[in-house]
Amino acid sequence: MNHSYDSKLLFAAFLGALLLVPCALAAMDSDYCLMCHGDADMVNAELLIVPTTFDTTAHAVLGCVVCHDTIGDDHPSGVSELSRATCLDCHDTLGQEYLMTDHANYAICGDCHNPHEARAMKAMAGYDMNDKCIRCHDSQTMVDVHKVWLPQADLHIAKLPCITCHTGSEGYEIVLNIVVRQDDRFFSRFELPEYQILKEISGDAGILSLIDTNGDNFIALTELRRFNRNPAYRNLRLEGTLVPSDVSHDLKTLDNRYDCTFCHISGPKSLQTSFLAIPNRDGGYQRVTVEQGAVLDALYGTPDFYMVGTTRSASMNILGLLIISAGLVMPIGHGLLRFLTRKNRQH
Amino acid sequence: MAENTKIYLQPTPVRIWHWLNAFGIVTLTVSGAQIRFPEYISLLGSYKSAIYLHNTAGFVVAISFTLWFFYYVFIARSMANLYVPKVEDLKTGLLRQAKFYFLTYFLGWENPHHPTPRNKFNPMQKSAYLAIMFVLMPLVSLTGIFMTNVEPLRGVIVMMGGMKILMSVHFLLACCLIAFLPTHVYLTTLGHTPMEHIKTMWTGWEENGNDVPDHKENGTVPSH
Ligand code: HEC
Ligand code: HEC
Ligand code: HEC
Ligand code: HEC
Ligand code: HEC
Ligand code: HEC
Ligand code: HEM
Repeated sequence: MNHSYDSKLLFAAFLGALLLVPCALAAMDSDYCLMCHGDADMVNAELLIVPTTFDTTAHAVLGCVVCHDTIGDDHPSGVSELSRATCLDCHDTLGQEYLMTDHANYAICGDCHNPHEARAMKAMAGYDMNDKCIRCHDSQTMVDVHKVWLPQADLHIAKLPCITCHTGSEGYEIVLNIVVRQDDRFFSRFELPEYQILKEISGDAGILSLIDTNGDNFIALTELRRFNRNPAYRNLRLEGTLVPSDVSHDLKTLDNRYDCTFCHISGPKSLQTSFLAIPNRDGGYQRVTVEQGAVLDALYGTPDFYMVGTTRSASMNILGLLIISAGLVMPIGHGLLRFLTRKNRQH
Repeated sequence: MAENTKIYLQPTPVRIWHWLNAFGIVTLTVSGAQIRFPEYISLLGSYKSAIYLHNTAGFVVAISFTLWFFYYVFIARSMANLYVPKVEDLKTGLLRQAKFYFLTYFLGWENPHHPTPRNKFNPMQKSAYLAIMFVLMPLVSLTGIFMTNVEPLRGVIVMMGGMKILMSVHFLLACCLIAFLPTHVYLTTLGHTPMEHIKTMWTGWEENGNDVPDHKENGTVPSH
């Protein structure tokens, strides 16, 4: 992880910030601020911060005052315009990386991130990362821009996080999501559900128990099969997407993404690592490891994840080879006998 | 053969269809192989060109299939007659034809079936072509059309079992078509000369044509 360096810095910044803030104020924890800012009756909509969301973000440990350190006892009636820490104070590595890009001229940290809702990439479902981008680059325009060179552009834009192609990473992994049929009609679409919907389906045992039946916090192939075949879950399916393993903010167009075999190729480096993203109550996600190679299982691995060239199944290949070989029986067998008996036909 | 009569066996639309189709299927096979096994096969340059070629060839094959279908059903009106095996074909014809291919052919006997424009195929050809043209080709084309329109047709794809089922069906049926190819090409060389039938498929005219009048035809012609 390239964040270990970051974390040390963060810790220093965190301590530093605490020392700078007068003790009385440090005691004012988030709960105090959220008494007003978490209540729609107390503050207006722009100043509202959803407590259940904030409490589960990576920033909750900091507390409000670390970032708004000019706050005084007279708040809110005192001087307005409190200070706001800048992201770069603490996220130096990632921040500097971003500032070097052309894109820094088009968007700042706050255009993509809300500090009160910041989540790690691993706490996201996958496609929801594009909510950030789509604010400025709407989907239809993106399909049009990409289809000039990208086959099946609509499918790629609908299924892939933009940063899978527009930032570099050592590796890539598959994230599976449970999707739910929108209404009970046969052909209706499956969408990423709210936590509450899955919670109702799974009951007290928890959402993970839908698939992880033995409760070992690991998804085995047999558990995937059982889930996919279970008639009780016919309105649930698994969909997959491809995400970078590490976060980079070097946002740009990578030349090797023109080459489809960057992704559409199998082999040792290919995508056999997958995770299941389970929604949490707060809107974030938790990742659970899935058995290696699950997506290669022909029929029951993951019904709605198939990448040509990459996730082809070996058993299907063998079956195909057998069929093709059967086509050679006639020419070879018959041809041989034909050759041996050729004299019989010389009249 | 007593006389060297010529009959016009393969009308122009059928020949156009056939060679477009044959060329298309070979192209689809090669590009399809590259799409499935990109790390081993790179005959067609980049992956993208393989995909574009595969899509184009699939389109050409689907169009020419339509040509074939409309020609036989609406213009020649001989589809059912030519392609659907008759009860008699199934009861005795298949067996007789199999006996020829696997036994009497080697003994040097004549083919019990003599093609005429109204009864072009022997019972085994009928059954094989029926399966190929009415089951395999439409299903492969259909699954292919679905796979080039995944986003718009997502709902229907889910209904059919999802992308993986669709892909597996497309792949396995395509393998069946590929398996048909060597068998088919080989069997067409079983004429009086190896190139006889293939020439017919090119020019339309069958040399050494059937010298027996049409009404006696129906598979009852004795071999000499
Ligand atoms: C008693 C209710 C109350 C509490 C407690 C409270 N706020 Fe506020 N806060 C307000 C109101 C009301 C406003 C709007 C003030 C205005 O528009 O002048 C506001 C505005 C703000 C603003 C935006 C305006 C500015 O000054 O930049 C920030 C940031 C803020 N509060 C941070 C905090 C933090 C951090 C805490 C906890 C240490 C906190 N507030 C506690 C009621 C409260
Ligand atoms: C990681 C630093 C950080 C923490 C922790 C943090 N804030 Fe903020 N806050 C910011 C920044 C940066 C802005 C300016 C956002 C912008 O302009 O888009 C901001 C803006 C605000 C605003 C103004 C409304 C807005 O969205 O512009 C309020 C109110 C506020 N914060 C309250 C709080 C409260 C209450 C807490 C604790 C529950 C808190 N903040 C915790 C960094 C932080
Ligand atoms: C006072 C220091 C501080 C400031 C200022 C700050 N952050 Fe953070 N941020 C943290 C800490 C500490 C974490 C938790 C890191 C961890 O869990 O490894 C974090 C985590 C995050 C995460 C989740 C990543 C993770 O590894 O969990 C995101 C996204 C994020 N911050 C974005 C921002 C943005 C955007 C800003 C500017 C609006 C900002 N941060 C400002 C300290 C800060
Ligand atoms: C163009 C949009 C965009 C901008 C601008 C942007 N980010 Fe991000 N950032 C993302 C996306 C997308 C992710 C990955 C998904 C997520 O965690 O939200 C991410 C993730 C992060 C993370 C979490 C890393 C982890 O380990 O999961 C941090 C921290 C972060 N950004 C900080 C920053 C800082 C600091 C800035 C400003 C210098 C910034 N970002 C500007 C889009 C942006
Ligand atoms: C605040 C608006 C905004 C957001 C949010 C945003 N962008 Fe951009 N982006 C722009 C603008 C403006 C341009 C320059 C005009 C253009 O090319 O469309 C741009 C250009 C780009 C380019 C072309 C860069 C180049 O160097 O030619 C890429 C790639 C890109 N954005 C990707 C992303 C991704 C990925 C995200 C989400 C993580 C994102 N953008 C989020 C505004 C934004
Ligand atoms: C399959 C990989 C891939 C995905 C997914 C992808 N892009 Fe791109 N994108 C590219 C490549 C490669 C280019 C360069 C295209 C070119 O030169 O015309 C590009 C170009 C762009 C451009 C610049 C277009 C221009 O006018 O030059 C923008 C903006 C952009 N992408 C934004 C996005 C956004 C936003 C998303 C997510 C919704 C996204 N991309 C998803 C690969 C991808
Ligand atoms: C390059 C390879 C091919 C060669 C050399 C070839 C050759 C021939 C020949 C000589 C005939 C006429 C003999 C007969 O009526 O049986 C024929 C007919 C036929 N072939 Fe092929 N063929 C090829 C590829 C294909 C392919 C790929 C398909 C289908 C997927 C196909 C389907 C058919 C059908 C359905 C007929 C009967 C046509 C009709 O008269 O209606 N052929 N082929």
